[in-house]
Amino acid sequence: MTSTQDNIVTRKNWLHDVRLVIHQTKFEQLFFWLNRVGAIFTVGFSVVFLVLLGASAGNQRVASLGGIRLVQYYVPGFIAYGVMAAGFTTLAITIVVRRETGLLKRLRLSPLPAWVLIASIFISTTIVALVQTFLLLVIGRFGYHVNFPTSWSAMFIAILLGIMSFSAMGVAISSVVPNQEAAGPVTSIVFFVLLFLAGLWFPLPPGSGLAKFSNYLPVRHLMIAMDRSFEIPKGVSPWAWHDLLVIGLWGVGATLVSLRRFRWSPRRT
Amino acid sequence: MTLALRVNNLAKSYGNLKAIDDVSFDVERGEIFALLGPNGAGKTTCIEVLEGFLRRDSGAVEVLGVDPGERRHLRWLRERVGVVLQELAVESFFTVRQVLERNAGFYPNPRPIDEVIELVGLSEKGDAKVKRLSGGQQRRLDIGLGIVGNPELLFLDEPTTGLDPAARRTTWDLIRLLSSEGTTVLMSSHYMDEVEALAQRVAVLSHGQIAALGPTASLGGRNDGEVTIRFMLPANVAAKDLPITTSGVEGDIVEVKTREEVLTLHALTGWAIANNFVLEGLTVARETLEDIYLSLTRQDREETSTRTT
Repeated sequence: MTSTQDNIVTRKNWLHDVRLVIHQTKFEQLFFWLNRVGAIFTVGFSVVFLVLLGASAGNQRVASLGGIRLVQYYVPGFIAYGVMAAGFTTLAITIVVRRETGLLKRLRLSPLPAWVLIASIFISTTIVALVQTFLLLVIGRFGYHVNFPTSWSAMFIAILLGIMSFSAMGVAISSVVPNQEAAGPVTSIVFFVLLFLAGLWFPLPPGSGLAKFSNYLPVRHLMIAMDRSFEIPKGVSPWAWHDLLVIGLWGVGATLVSLRRFRWSPRRT
Repeated sequence: MTLALRVNNLAKSYGNLKAIDDVSFDVERGEIFALLGPNGAGKTTCIEVLEGFLRRDSGAVEVLGVDPGERRHLRWLRERVGVVLQELAVESFFTVRQVLERNAGFYPNPRPIDEVIELVGLSEKGDAKVKRLSGGQQRRLDIGLGIVGNPELLFLDEPTTGLDPAARRTTWDLIRLLSSEGTTVLMSSHYMDEVEALAQRVAVLSHGQIAALGPTASLGGRNDGEVTIRFMLPANVAAKDLPITTSGVEGDIVEVKTREEVLTLHALTGWAIANNFVLEGLTVARETLEDIYLSLTRQDREETSTRTT
């Protein structure tokens, strides 16, 4: 009898938690779209960049990538950008602001379990990345005749792994940002330097010093993984296992840093 | 079980600084209990240990019968305990209703949103964005977030700091209402009038220790302590002609400190009537909580300074 009752209670709790994740995800989404800065920085930026770059230099051919058009290179590039902007920059800024204004502490003191909060943020970030991926694909396809990915599953795996790892990196960097004022500048500078080094704006010549250096950083690997799902360069396998592994390792490292350094409340003065 | 909180020999340090040191008190269910003390006395640290937010160094703590320092109790506890922090913490681009709906969803048995909005006096602001609210209104929303889960026990860390006098009264009424519904309240404050108006019992904290603990009305023995009678000396009367012993005369103002105020007043007023004197500016004052509080914390301050020198 008791074990049956226990089962019922456990199942009820489980259902309750799932409902809690849905509830919190709904408000994370509301939070993201109402806070227009985040929405503009992620979805807005990538769409505007694609449109502008596509219209200006989009038809140039890139010899190092098998002669594909530049705009074809930009679509997976900006999908990767969006994943990183949502997971890394936006999340890091959001966490710092929430921590410094006491919102995290308040959540900590509510019955919302920490894992529900983390799961909701992850799901919400994924929704943002998918909305943006959809927009980029549609604009690329119908505006610039860019191909859809050769392997949809390879693209989705790269997006999901990218969000997990870059979110972990966002949390990790948020723990070293001292206050709200520094959150935007610090994360944006780090982010744009990484993007430049990884060749988002201009493809890196293979074998160059910059390409070698950025092999140790996660950004380029996410861009490569995304490119490969679009069969860039031509004839490659869409599964970039090596690159996915590097992204995953950065994610694990960032998670370890986050677990050690994460704070729920502002630093005591 | 009638105790909502049990605190025994609680201690917590930050590095070398002893934030609270050997603090013990109990709070009964349904009671409003206040922690009174100056900034840095350890009020917030004490509350945060009870909330399970901070780890204690030593001592025993029970909140609604369980130890908040044990992780496995925390969720159960947080479904039953409401918290209002000292700092304002509300998302600025949500509406009042959205913030409350979000938090209500965390609790198994929340209060209806409209009722909460009504209780905290924000009926006309339900659909307003939080950033459009005044500081006082945001503070009241903060309190609304503390009670939306229908808590059995409510922690209020300086609930009216920064509120205008009218908003303070509204908040007091709300706290009294919650208490009348059976909610236990542990509040901290550095306003004497607030503690006097709300709390049945009070602990005065000073430098992390309890300087005094007892019913608010009789703290430090002030209900049977000295009473100060003041009045203006009638014209052409010298202090030595008075029928009572004075404690001091400053200009025309006579001050009499006595533990037998009824007898003293009888003698004084009888003499005045018989001689047709008017006792201008006559006042009778019992020691206020503030007097007690200041003398308690002053003593402690002096002790600390002798210890360190």
